[in-house]
Amino acid sequence: MSEFHDPFPNYEVLAQHDETYGKTARKKLWFVFWILLAVTIVEVVVGLIAPSYGIPTWFLKIFFIGFTIVKAFYIVYKFMHLGHEERWTKWMIIAPFVGFILYFIFMLTIGEGNYAKTRRFDIYDQQTNLPAPTGNAEPHGKK
Amino acid sequence: MSGHATDANIAGWDGATSPLRASYGKLFMWFFLISDALTFSGFLCSYGFFRHRFSGEWPIPSEVFHHFPFLEGVHLPLMYVGLMTFILIMSSVTMVLAVEAGHRKRRKPVLIWMFLTIIGGFMFVGSQAWEWANFIKGSHEGAVLYDNVMYTYAIDPVTHHANTKILTFAHEPLSAAKSAEIIAKGEKFYGANLRHNEYGHTAFADYFFFITGFHGFHVFSGVCINIVIFIMALQGVMERRGHYEMVEKVGLYWHFVDLVWVFVFTFFYLL
Repeated sequence: MSEFHDPFPNYEVLAQHDETYGKTARKKLWFVFWILLAVTIVEVVVGLIAPSYGIPTWFLKIFFIGFTIVKAFYIVYKFMHLGHEERWTKWMIIAPFVGFILYFIFMLTIGEGNYAKTRRFDIYDQQTNLPAPTGNAEPHGKK
Repeated sequence: MSGHATDANIAGWDGATSPLRASYGKLFMWFFLISDALTFSGFLCSYGFFRHRFSGEWPIPSEVFHHFPFLEGVHLPLMYVGLMTFILIMSSVTMVLAVEAGHRKRRKPVLIWMFLTIIGGFMFVGSQAWEWANFIKGSHEGAVLYDNVMYTYAIDPVTHHANTKILTFAHEPLSAAKSAEIIAKGEKFYGANLRHNEYGHTAFADYFFFITGFHGFHVFSGVCINIVIFIMALQGVMERRGHYEMVEKVGLYWHFVDLVWVFVFTFFYLL
């Protein structure tokens, strides 16, 4: 018994289970594996054929990010066993993260990122002598 | 220790019971993973910002990463990185099976699954080294660097062969005369480093090295921690302790590494 560990293992043993439970648990884990594999294969196939079929970019963005979130859910809830934790543990882990991500995205799309997008030709001219970048934004002010 | 500490379910941190019913170590592994996830989120958001900002000059990933081992010269975008993703998902499954065996306190399956996880981790790190080597080495034709601007050769959309007579900047072809002038004055440039990138904007190479490098470093440290836990399990430390929670904790870290790769795969290669 290590001196760094609680001599009375309590919370550590809560997740332990017997052989019968283990059998169904393994079945569920392999099922998650097949889901992850199928999603990855679909993503790769769509990524391969998308250029030749001219699928619009906005659709691909939603499609890939949506599937990524599906995969992330299965990894976190099933493989990392977050689904087995207490309700407040889930909140403590997911809420701060999602909050920060929403803040990041807000800052990049509506906040500072939007400024750099609309004014980028002015910034570009001051910083470099490169040809003006081509993008989906129109030149602002001067050419 | 007061008397109630021996109760199997409600003992805790020398006080009242823990409302989360989870051990100290596991909770703090989760908190560490949140902070690490925020670091990676910051990288990926910053990547998205730069990509949007320089969307014209940004390389198309399928024109950069299209190599496959032993298939020299064949244009196969996404296949190799799909294989890497498969390796990492597979090693995630072997890890979770090791955790499951730990819940049954079965030492032998824990050791087998942990061993396979370590092999998968080494395979992934090796694959990433090959990917890096290809990116650093660059294509056969290279590109032309003139006045600190990278001009790439026009690529045939069907055959994927480079036309060494016509240059492009920001995916727009230049005229034949202008191309010839720049080819004559400029210097040849192959591959990518932190200052220049054959395929387009330098920031693409910087972000590639930084994000996949940081992730690869996580994989490597994960493999090292896995080896430590494997040796501990081999020596029977967990059996003496009465539980295999160390396997569960290192499993959390390993699945997190897989989770990050899922996002890197999407934002770097698919979009």
